[in-house]
Amino acid sequence: MTQNRREFIKKSGCALGIAALATQFEHFGLMSAMAQKVDAQDELNAPGDYRALVCIFMQGGNDGNNTIIPNHSDANLSNYSAYSAARNTQGLAVAQSALLPITVPKMNNLTYGLNPNLGALTPSGATIVNNGIHELWAQNRMAVVTNAGTLVAPMTRAQYQSGSIKRPFQLFSHSDQVSQYQSGRSDAFSFTGWGGRISDRRTLPDNPGGLIPMITSINGAQLFTAGQTTLPLAIANAGTSLSSVLNPQGFNSSAESQTRLSAFNQLRSQDLNSNYIKEASHITDQAIAANSALATFQEVTVVFPNTSIGSQLKQVARLIKKRGDLSINRQIFYVQVGSFDTHNNQINGQGGLLTQFSQAVRAFYDEMVMQGVSNNVTTFTLSDFSRTFNPAGSGASVGSDHAWANHLFVIGGAVNGGNFYGTNTSNGTPYPTLVMNGPDDADSGSNARGRWIPTTSVEQYAATLAAWYGLSAADMPVVFPNIANFPTTNLGFMQP
Amino acid sequence: MNNRKPRLLWQIFGAGFFTFLLVFPILAQDPNPDSPTPILLSEPDSTRALVSSAENLSAVKGRAFASNSKAVLFVTNLDLMEDEGANAFRVNVEGANGRQYRFPVLDIQPVKNQEGIYALTIRLKDELGFWEQPLLKGDFLVSVVWRGLASNRVHLTFGKVGKGGFVKDNVGAVPTPLPKKSTREFEPDAVGYLYSGDRIRFLEQATFGPTSELDQRIRRIGLRTWLAEQFEAPYPTNPYPNLPLMPTNIDRNVCNSICIRDFYTMYPLQNWFYQEAFYGDAQLRHRVAWALSELWVVSGEDTQQSSWMIDYHQDLSKNAFGNYRNLMYDMTLNPAMGNYLDMVRSTKNSPNENFAREVLQLFSVGLFMLNQDGTLQLDANGNPIPTYSQNTVNNFTQIFTGWTLCEVTGATCPNRTAGAPNYKDPMILNQNNHDVTAKTLLNYPNAVNPTIAANQNGLTELNQALDNIFYHPNVAPFVSRYLIQQMVTSDPTPAYVGRIAAVFNNNGSGVRGDLKAVVRAILLDPEARGNVKTDPNYGKLREPVQLATNVLRQFDVQSATGGAQSDGYVNQIISPMGQNTFNSPTVFNYYSPDYVIPGTAVNAPEFGILTTGTTIARANFMNTIVFSRVNVSSFAPTGTSINLSEMQALSAADATGNRLVDALNTKLMHGAMSAQMKSTILTAVQAVASTNTLLRTQTAIYLTASSSQYQVQR
Repeated sequence: MTQNRREFIKKSGCALGIAALATQFEHFGLMSAMAQKVDAQDELNAPGDYRALVCIFMQGGNDGNNTIIPNHSDANLSNYSAYSAARNTQGLAVAQSALLPITVPKMNNLTYGLNPNLGALTPSGATIVNNGIHELWAQNRMAVVTNAGTLVAPMTRAQYQSGSIKRPFQLFSHSDQVSQYQSGRSDAFSFTGWGGRISDRRTLPDNPGGLIPMITSINGAQLFTAGQTTLPLAIANAGTSLSSVLNPQGFNSSAESQTRLSAFNQLRSQDLNSNYIKEASHITDQAIAANSALATFQEVTVVFPNTSIGSQLKQVARLIKKRGDLSINRQIFYVQVGSFDTHNNQINGQGGLLTQFSQAVRAFYDEMVMQGVSNNVTTFTLSDFSRTFNPAGSGASVGSDHAWANHLFVIGGAVNGGNFYGTNTSNGTPYPTLVMNGPDDADSGSNARGRWIPTTSVEQYAATLAAWYGLSAADMPVVFPNIANFPTTNLGFMQP
Repeated sequence: MNNRKPRLLWQIFGAGFFTFLLVFPILAQDPNPDSPTPILLSEPDSTRALVSSAENLSAVKGRAFASNSKAVLFVTNLDLMEDEGANAFRVNVEGANGRQYRFPVLDIQPVKNQEGIYALTIRLKDELGFWEQPLLKGDFLVSVVWRGLASNRVHLTFGKVGKGGFVKDNVGAVPTPLPKKSTREFEPDAVGYLYSGDRIRFLEQATFGPTSELDQRIRRIGLRTWLAEQFEAPYPTNPYPNLPLMPTNIDRNVCNSICIRDFYTMYPLQNWFYQEAFYGDAQLRHRVAWALSELWVVSGEDTQQSSWMIDYHQDLSKNAFGNYRNLMYDMTLNPAMGNYLDMVRSTKNSPNENFAREVLQLFSVGLFMLNQDGTLQLDANGNPIPTYSQNTVNNFTQIFTGWTLCEVTGATCPNRTAGAPNYKDPMILNQNNHDVTAKTLLNYPNAVNPTIAANQNGLTELNQALDNIFYHPNVAPFVSRYLIQQMVTSDPTPAYVGRIAAVFNNNGSGVRGDLKAVVRAILLDPEARGNVKTDPNYGKLREPVQLATNVLRQFDVQSATGGAQSDGYVNQIISPMGQNTFNSPTVFNYYSPDYVIPGTAVNAPEFGILTTGTTIARANFMNTIVFSRVNVSSFAPTGTSINLSEMQALSAADATGNRLVDALNTKLMHGAMSAQMKSTILTAVQAVASTNTLLRTQTAIYLTASSSQYQVQR
């Protein structure tokens, strides 16, 4: 009987268990999440249910103004004509006839429109494989949090202009706004992300015997996934099978190969006086530990689109399908789609990306239904910022520049779908007034570009998701240090 | 405090040579690269720190320090340069709970009547901010680092010993009481550069990887002469690929998949880049141009044709030893950059902010006001001070309006090609599309062109605006720190940044922005030089491109079966490690210079692309090149492999495996391989039959090159 290669890795790993775990114990002098599990796994019983949060980061700044569009002619609110008047001349307006209608109870049952790329499209090869996410609105499986963004505390336009309330640092800068969406605070730089901090708090109680970390990124190292004691698993998308995604190649059953593998593992417990060597070894330790856990997997049943975001979400779906094997009850995932930084060529550029997003998210939702966990898995979006209502350039190459408040999607069986959520703007609804130099514009004067001031903060949005996930009220201010600045910590878009 | 180099040379060669040296600095002999290792003084009978309160300089045993108060440690075995002060030192502190802190160093002064002893004033307060402030109770282990060297660790105890936890000493820690007198003596310079560890380290910093040939050459001529040669070396060694400009849209009736690969992807440019990295003679220029390409990022993801990127790369390499102001100008008007950051379509009626924002944030001054040593300036409330506002971005946006691709017939646009956009000639101005309103730009003390008058020519304004940026005080520390991070170490001391920024501000002849002088100063700085560095935060993770070229060059990279050169087709085995050459995912590069390792406060840019997934990809890259090769294929005319014969000969010559592993220690680890590591690798080597010299060699190289110890360039 031939022993499979992975068995060797497993066995050699066990033989070296103590040495290989050295960096884990060394890591900031604490037991890391992975090391904690070694102590705890036999004692604690896992809670019976499963819940997962899937963060989709729309990298580059998705233009919310062309994602959720007024599709009504109500005279008291920004209507389609107001939208079209500001964007049509330069070629950035989406035609009203193309909008995918959604009825919004919160807006007196007025009709709004989704970008046409979020619905059913002509099937095309391996990239358009379903009807998109539009249908989920009517099924109450999708909600939109409107006019949300980075804030230190609520602020009116007057307060923004006078500077009497502290502004988020470096508004309109990609790197800083991404970092604030991911860290969950806008008053200061943070070494950790809100996903990571939730994981710091919940790993031990929720995943006492988990074989992989609570957080998995399918898109590399991200601030969102970093905690003080949490290091994420980060793996390639479904283009690589789970069984080989972390597998060191080139080892076989021969004695010399096994000795080499032992040495490969042992080297990581040495020379840890250098922080760089220690951290590199720590990450590799995590990879080798997870590799053993991922030896086998079952393929998903739904067809995913053959796109980057499709393959990322497919890999997430594989891991969720394997949750029992991995002894894991709570999971947070990070995937990314981009680039939405459409300074130019926005109609085609954003359109194509929204198609990819919609197709992949719908496939993922359908797969969760197939797996029987659609009520246990919630998908949500983040993005750097929205974009200026006033277009940049004109004609075929028209685009838009960096702005602020945006509309964010929440999708899943546990969502109170089919509605807008968020704090009301100056017009008495949660959807902003689409007027440059108007009541919701951070810009002023004749050159104002339409950068809406958020009325709902990233923290409120995140805290609502975290509460559903199981973060206690006591832990809320620990994970979201500025949450007390906001009147509501739960926006109500999740079922209990 | 002495400036060691002149004193040394004075002693050896006398005054006549010293004068000569000032006139022809490149002919100078290279001094001993090793700085002395600092020693923190302890009490005579223990490893407890000799410490006093800042108010009373006499050493006291009292340990009642209030949190946030000052304390004085005593350090010796230093050799300070003129102006080398507090910001050259860092004090690392480990608490009983294993948490790492850093206490700010406020001052360093020689102690009266105690030659060679310095009083180091610190504030008892963590400056990293990763953990909450430590309770000053119990035992802390303290060490000082200077020029990449860590001192011994001493105990700093608050309150009663044993309360609040006790931290274990390093193995072998001994008391370091006040020495009778300083014993350090300078060694005379030898002919040539005999410091083998530092030779390898230098080549890792200045090239795409050491080779035996280069190592021997530097041994013979020294660092300074080699640098002088490199500054004059013709570039490129292999000509850029000669590629035509192609139409934006692919005509699939004419252009098949091979044609797409050759004209509509980065494939030809990547292969040229790696051939030049493997075999080119102008290594330093190629290396600096690559570093600049990760600062002034243009990505092939948007700029799809190699022919569109070549002019951009030429601008980078041309200016790599030139003046930063010229680089700014060439990059601003470069058509690939113009397309990537949208300046090419920004007009007065439809302005686009993209280039205006990034030229400030990423390429020159950064977001916050800096001190000249690269540390943040803080306002009265302790907050960083923004360098500019959205309004500034709006004004720069107006400055950069009106430029288009060079599509005029005739001599203005010599490379214009009918039917294809002109990505070879610099952009040209259409004054009608230029916004001629008056503008307000960056303001700073003695600001150059803080306001721009109305109704001027767009090119005049562009130069005024670039001067406004170029003379901003942030540019020197911003660019200096970035280049140090790229070449030497991720988290340089402020003193190091400050020394380089001073050279950026003035190259010695009154010229600002001289990159040749900056690169030279970075590589010859005492924080860069030395045979071994021991500071826990010294060095950098090798980015995938450097990791790959270093290993390949160390083992005489060749064609798949040997006997010829590699064709440079290696990006496909490098890309899975997280760096697809010339295809950065965004203008923020593959990783950010400010990246901090999750779960730590360690600044480490390249860790931005080190994950569980890519760390295994790194091991698998080593597996491919050590146990296999890139075979000949339609993409790889000659293929790529490494030549193991030299190492195999050592393996054959010594059945214990020691000579093999020692050679790898010298080549890959610049002699710094720990005894533990050597023993582990030897065990694996000895598990292979001594007659199987190939497998022994492969085993040893794989283990060394895939180790974290090698992945970190230290």
